[in-house]
Amino acid sequence: MTKIGVYICRCGLNIAGTVDVKKVTEYAKTLPNVAVARHYTYMCSEPGQSMIQDDVKAHMVDRVVIATCSPRMHEETFRKAVAETGLNPYLLEIVNLREHVSWAHTHEPERATEKAKDLVRMGVARARLLEPLEKRKVKVEKSVLVVGGGIAGIQSSLDLANAGFKVHLVEKSPSIGGRMAQLDKTFPTLDCSACILTPKMVDVAKHPNITLLTNAEVVDVKGFVGNYEVSILQEPRYVDAKKCVGCELCTKVCPVRIPDKFNENLTQKHAIYIYSAHAVPKIATIDPTRCLRLKIKKDVCGKCQEACEAKAIAFDQQPQTIQIKVGGVVVAVGSEVFDASRMAEFGYGRFKNVISNIEFERISDASGPTNGKIVSPTTGKAPKSIVFIQCVGSRDKRFHEYCCRVGCMVTLKQAILAREKILEDARIYVCYIDLRSFGKGYDEFYSRARDMDIDFVAGIPSEIHCSQNGSLYFDVYDKGINKLMEMHADLVVLGTGLVPNSDLERISSLFHASRSADGFMLEAHPKLRPLESAAAGVFLAGACQGPKDIPDTVAQASGAAAKVIDLLSNGEIELEPLKAAVNKDLCSGCRICESICPFKAIEMKPDTGKDNENFRAEVIEAVCQGCGLCSSACPTSAIEIQQFSNPQVLTQVQAAFERAKPKGGK
Amino acid sequence: MSLVDLMTMATPNFGSREKILAKLCGRELVNCFQCIKCTSGCTALKLLELKPHEIMKLVNLGFVDELVSSDIIWTCATCLKCVQRCPQKASPYHVIVALRNLAVEREAKVPGRYLKAVSQILETGLAEACRKIVTRKMETVDRECLGLPKVSKPKENFQTIFMKAMEERP
Repeated sequence: MTKIGVYICRCGLNIAGTVDVKKVTEYAKTLPNVAVARHYTYMCSEPGQSMIQDDVKAHMVDRVVIATCSPRMHEETFRKAVAETGLNPYLLEIVNLREHVSWAHTHEPERATEKAKDLVRMGVARARLLEPLEKRKVKVEKSVLVVGGGIAGIQSSLDLANAGFKVHLVEKSPSIGGRMAQLDKTFPTLDCSACILTPKMVDVAKHPNITLLTNAEVVDVKGFVGNYEVSILQEPRYVDAKKCVGCELCTKVCPVRIPDKFNENLTQKHAIYIYSAHAVPKIATIDPTRCLRLKIKKDVCGKCQEACEAKAIAFDQQPQTIQIKVGGVVVAVGSEVFDASRMAEFGYGRFKNVISNIEFERISDASGPTNGKIVSPTTGKAPKSIVFIQCVGSRDKRFHEYCCRVGCMVTLKQAILAREKILEDARIYVCYIDLRSFGKGYDEFYSRARDMDIDFVAGIPSEIHCSQNGSLYFDVYDKGINKLMEMHADLVVLGTGLVPNSDLERISSLFHASRSADGFMLEAHPKLRPLESAAAGVFLAGACQGPKDIPDTVAQASGAAAKVIDLLSNGEIELEPLKAAVNKDLCSGCRICESICPFKAIEMKPDTGKDNENFRAEVIEAVCQGCGLCSSACPTSAIEIQQFSNPQVLTQVQAAFERAKPKGGK
Repeated sequence: MSLVDLMTMATPNFGSREKILAKLCGRELVNCFQCIKCTSGCTALKLLELKPHEIMKLVNLGFVDELVSSDIIWTCATCLKCVQRCPQKASPYHVIVALRNLAVEREAKVPGRYLKAVSQILETGLAEACRKIVTRKMETVDRECLGLPKVSKPKENFQTIFMKAMEERP
């Protein structure tokens, strides 16, 4: 006969403060098949676990019900504890008395105790029908796909490559480097961004374990954790990568001029261009939508072809689809900068002297449009007064409710750079709501800014006006001095925040990784699994998971790489057995499950055992995520999720209503 | 009491605050983080010293009674800039209107011009009476000499409907 042990956790006062644990324990003892019922302060602690193990070892118990916190918290802990005794770990049932009872009904202790009894009874009923299950092992590909070549992707790729894994780094633009390559200096140490990033970019290009695919995008992902099949579409550069030496002779003769995206469209480049001064790989690229030859498709222009000494121009290049097999994925696609023209009151896009902070980076950068001179766009001269306005597009329910986490420090850095670069008599003001300088060395940096005669105004202007000569003026009220002031500025820099990458929707559906309400990628657990997505084998690095500065991005990227190594280093992984299973005798071959499965985990295979050629459903176990859609859709109950079969669930439902008195229905 | 205004020795009145919150249908419209954008752009600030952010803070802290009996809540020009631009979708304007309503309920002193506007509307259906004005050329003109038609009077039952509507307001 089945002998069930019921173990009730008091969880300090988390559960015992509301639920009368002693009553529930006494009640559990009266339930059929229950051999032992005990309670303890912390069931997850070592003495708590050994209490269960001792009972199992003494053959008092062969199934275990633990009434404790959510199974998301400690199911794995208790499974391990049960397995150590030699009992199959799947003969364990968790009843959630904390999140579902004590925390939800703090003010109704008596009714909470009754609910706890109900849940324990349901758990015991289910435990009777549990069946032992085995984990299955599958081999994994020891190679990794990294999506996005910003600092996050670069760091993850280098860590993985150094650990001996083959890395495929896919970058959408013609060069790696991402946002960080556009920055002038970095806070709080004022290192030159290019000086610390460029060596890493070169390392990526030279590393024997890294295959760098620029101008490329992931278009399709099949398979499952450990064994992904990925299709990558590489757009042509129309330049032979092996022949091009990056001499830039071609760019000088090209007659077509187009806005330079790397310089935030502040300058122009040619239709054949090298992405930036530090581009890796330093290979020219032709924009096919603007190049005269490629647009008209006739023998026109071709000046670059004449100028190229290396004979590298190849107008006949075609898009290429590349198939690779990888074991894990790091998504590091980064973020975008808020488009301040959506916020009409500050006049961005209407007034030339109102710029965004990423434009300021380019203006301040030595390789940027002004060679590093800070100027006011209308006059071309150094501004006499600069005003920074914080929280543009972030902490704003009309646009993005979250804090952008970098804006305050970016502004402090830019204010300091402005003070260093332009004459000392310039006035520099920062209009802020709250100044958040929380990182290591960040508040010292804030203090340094104040020492450099940068003034802080605690208040945000309501609107910006522009006078005829292009200079800006506006009213701002300071809450410290309780005064309304009029400010005049030659340059206003908007502290635009980071917003989710517009590609994220496509990427999240490609990898079955969900997104959070703010639009960024969603981590599997906000505290305990911050580097994993909800999809097994897909990890997150950098600002695609939420706005981040460079130190946090690099830390997360290294962390994500370590998680991939953890996943793949054994060469094989264990798969949870909680998957769909088909009873072939009941399957009618209707294909409903095949059409409904979001993971494409069901294959229809001919049933060879019979005379007629009937197709029966078969589950690809490694792909199945155990979501249960097929099971609820199957008209003949042929497909069921192991551990959640119809009898197992229905017994629990019956037990739920055992004590309920029938109502109505005369 | 956990909070005392040491200038006036006033203490918060959370009952009054609840009345305001009920009028606003919840806390959302007072969910202010003091960015001061409303006050920076307030039309009534320069002349009349209205500081919308202070009103929001006072209501949140519970110093509602002082506001209800003050003159400052009647200075809002209802330009709605603060409603448009508030990053927290809070609304000083709606809070001020709620305070005014509470003031009327408590029969606090309502500025004479508001009562005048009400009787004006009752009589003519217009918030402002037709008046003679002086042009830039210093000529005094009225509708008649400009050849404008007479302003029609409201329909007969307008007054009864208007009075009924006023009584029905909670």
